[in-house]
Parts: sequence; structure tokens; C-alpha cells
Amino acid sequence: MNDTHEQMLDDVAVYALGALPPAQAQQVRDHLQTCEACRNEYAALAPAVAAIAASAPAPEPSALLKGRVMRAVRATLPAPAPAAAPAPASSPARTNLSAWGPYLVAAACFALAVSLGLINLSLINQLKASKEYALQLEHQSKVVAHEALDDERVLADLTNASAKRYNVANGQIVRIGDRIYLAMHDMPALPHGRVYQAWTLPKGAKEMVPSPTFVPDSHGAALLALPVRAAATAAVAISIEPEGGSKEPTTKPLVVQALD
Amino acid sequence: MDYDAENLMGRVRARDADAFEALYDAYHRLVYGVAYRVLGDAAGAEDVTQAVFLKVWSAPELFRGGNVPAWLVRIARNRALDVVRSRSSHAETELPEALPETETIEDVAFARLDAGKVRLALAELPDDQRTPIELGFFGGITHEEIARRTGIPLGTIKTRIRSGLRKLRSALDGAVTV
Repeated sequence: MNDTHEQMLDDVAVYALGALPPAQAQQVRDHLQTCEACRNEYAALAPAVAAIAASAPAPEPSALLKGRVMRAVRATLPAPAPAAAPAPASSPARTNLSAWGPYLVAAACFALAVSLGLINLSLINQLKASKEYALQLEHQSKVVAHEALDDERVLADLTNASAKRYNVANGQIVRIGDRIYLAMHDMPALPHGRVYQAWTLPKGAKEMVPSPTFVPDSHGAALLALPVRAAATAAVAISIEPEGGSKEPTTKPLVVQALD
Repeated sequence: MDYDAENLMGRVRARDADAFEALYDAYHRLVYGVAYRVLGDAAGAEDVTQAVFLKVWSAPELFRGGNVPAWLVRIARNRALDVVRSRSSHAETELPEALPETETIEDVAFARLDAGKVRLALAELPDDQRTPIELGFFGGITHEEIARRTGIPLGTIKTRIRSGLRKLRSALDGAVTV
């Protein structure tokens, strides 16, 4: 293989990495159409490039993100076929839920703010966003109530009177049913390369197990659903860890809360 | 639930919202992680994650076969870099979202890919190979800019990127000799 082609193979690697400017990238694309050796090189290197993504520290996104995405998706679907007979106006709970959704969410925003005993603009803004989406839904009669909102489920959980709340520094741990949420506010910003990490202690265990890392928004707010069963969890903790999280706490936990 | 990504994409094309939700559940952390690493802030990363998945739903035909999570990564990285560029003057680079028709990319089993193993593989690369790779992928800068910033000749940078990627691929699955 001559030097010129070796240089082209180097270019293929840079192309796979996505570090070629557009004009040179197009030249490589054109070359790949005609050169089997370079295609093979690209095919070998592209998965390595993609795998680099998996090395990225992955703090947990807000518990409300999925709701936003799924709502937007479901709003594009055709309206379901109407029922054979119109339902009485006073009886269908699902219709009522749909119509009242925005107001329930608004009430939930207020109730949550009160329950947390805080005026946290950022967290409330997140919840207001839910209200706005719900209002959009109100105008989209094609969206049926049973498709509603993961956000509403989260908000309903957070404001449920029967939820068990544990006040901790900068927030609450909320246990409802078999779910556990962290609703945090005014958390200090961390230096570059550091994240908050949640931990859970399974019942009967002696050591904490890692739960998601998270990064509060610019106002210090974070809302996190822990991926564990509450019934099997004895305690929750939060510590500061390096990006990407740790397998065991490397700093003294900021929060340690037993769940009774 | 069927988590086979290509199967899910086929169902997404048929407007199956449940399949889309399964796809989201399987890969949203991967997408969010890339966006967060590029942008460095949670709100921006969430916006990018939302944009990526809504693009998957609105234009599933852009996926022309191959590896679904690798495709999602390319979109996420490109969208995040768009945001970076909107915040500053940045040279334009992009990962190829539409791949050459003749290409066959072996699957990287992202669902089973151990992020810790990838980090370890990256950490074990010599600094002079890891640095240009990370600058190129997460920093979104051209190889020429990498050469300028590091003061290393362009040809050397390209060779180091290739050597590093081959070692990384070899470390991940042992399928490529270096």
C-alpha cells in the first residue's frame, strides 16, 4: 500500500471521528464509494467512535423529560376512533381527567411548592412547563386521557397526600407506593468534573449501591426518580462524585436518610 | 418487550408509539450523556435529547440500516455541536448521519456495553492519542484545529487518531488487530 493511500486511511479515521471539515468529508465519502480497503477501515473504526459516546458521564435527566417527549409524539398520532355511543357528560372519568388535566397540573405545581415549603422558581418552572403541555393537550381532543402524561403521574406522586416525605438538606425524598423520588432545590453548583450521585441501601444489605448521577439545573433544582423499588430499599443517600459516578461513595454523603 | 433496536425502528416507521417509547427507554441515557459531555449543562442536554428523539419519530426514514444507537449518537453529537456553535464561532464538523450505502457496520452491543470498560479503554490510550480523539469527538473541532491547539503536525494528528481508534476498537471487542 503506498503512502498516498496510507494518508487516505488516516483521513478515513478522522472522518469516522467526525473531525473533518465538510469539504474534506465529502471527498472521503466519495472515495469510500470506490475503495474497498477504506470502506473496511471505516467499518472497523466507526463502532469505536460510537462507543466513545458510552464513555460520556451520564447523569440522570429530569424525570419530566420522558413525559415531554412522549407527549409530543402522541400528539402527532391520528385521533382514535370515536366510541360507538356518546358517553354521558357526567360519567366518564377519563374525559374528565383530560379536561381537568391542566388544572390538576397547575394545582399540583402549587401543592408541590407548598409541600416543599419553598419558592423555587426553577422547579416550579419545570412544573409550569407541564401545565403548558397539558394546556396544549386540552386543545388536542384527539389525545385521549389514557395517553396522558408521565408528568402528571410524577406530579400526582409528588403531591399525593399519602406520600411519605423525608425532609433532607436542600429538598425532600418522597416515597409513594413502590417509587422513590428526590426533589431537590438550591443545591450548590459543583466544580467541573463533579456530579451529585444518589445511592440506595437495599434491605438486608450492608453497603450502598450506586444510583444515577445528576446535575441540578442552573437554579440548583433537580427532580429524580430512583430506579429502585421502594419496598426493597432501606435508605437513600447523596454524595458528590467524579463525572460518570462511582461504584461506592468516595466522599462523605451530604444526605443519608433511612426509609421507614 | 422487544428491545431489538432495528426491530423497534421498523415499528417506529409504522408509527408505533410503544416501540418509540421502548427505544427511548433503551437509549435516552446514551443520547443524554453525549449531549451533556459536549455541552456541559443539564438543561441544554435535555433539549438536545428531546430534539434527537423527536427527529427519530418525525423522520425515521433517515435511518437507513446499520446500528441504531450509533446513529442516535451521531445525531446527538451533531445537534449538541450545533448548540455549541450557536454559542461561539466554531469550525464546522459533523459525524456522517447518512452512511455510505455500501457500508456495513458491525453492531456494537450498546445495551451491554459497559461504560466503565470504554472509559478504561480510553484511559489506557497514550495521551497523545486520547487527547485528539476526545477533542475531535466531544469538542467538535477539526483535525486542523486540533493540530493548531496542540502544536503537533497535522499528519501526525491524523495518524494518532487512527492508531487510537484502532486500539480502542481492539480493546472493546478484540476483533481488530492493531
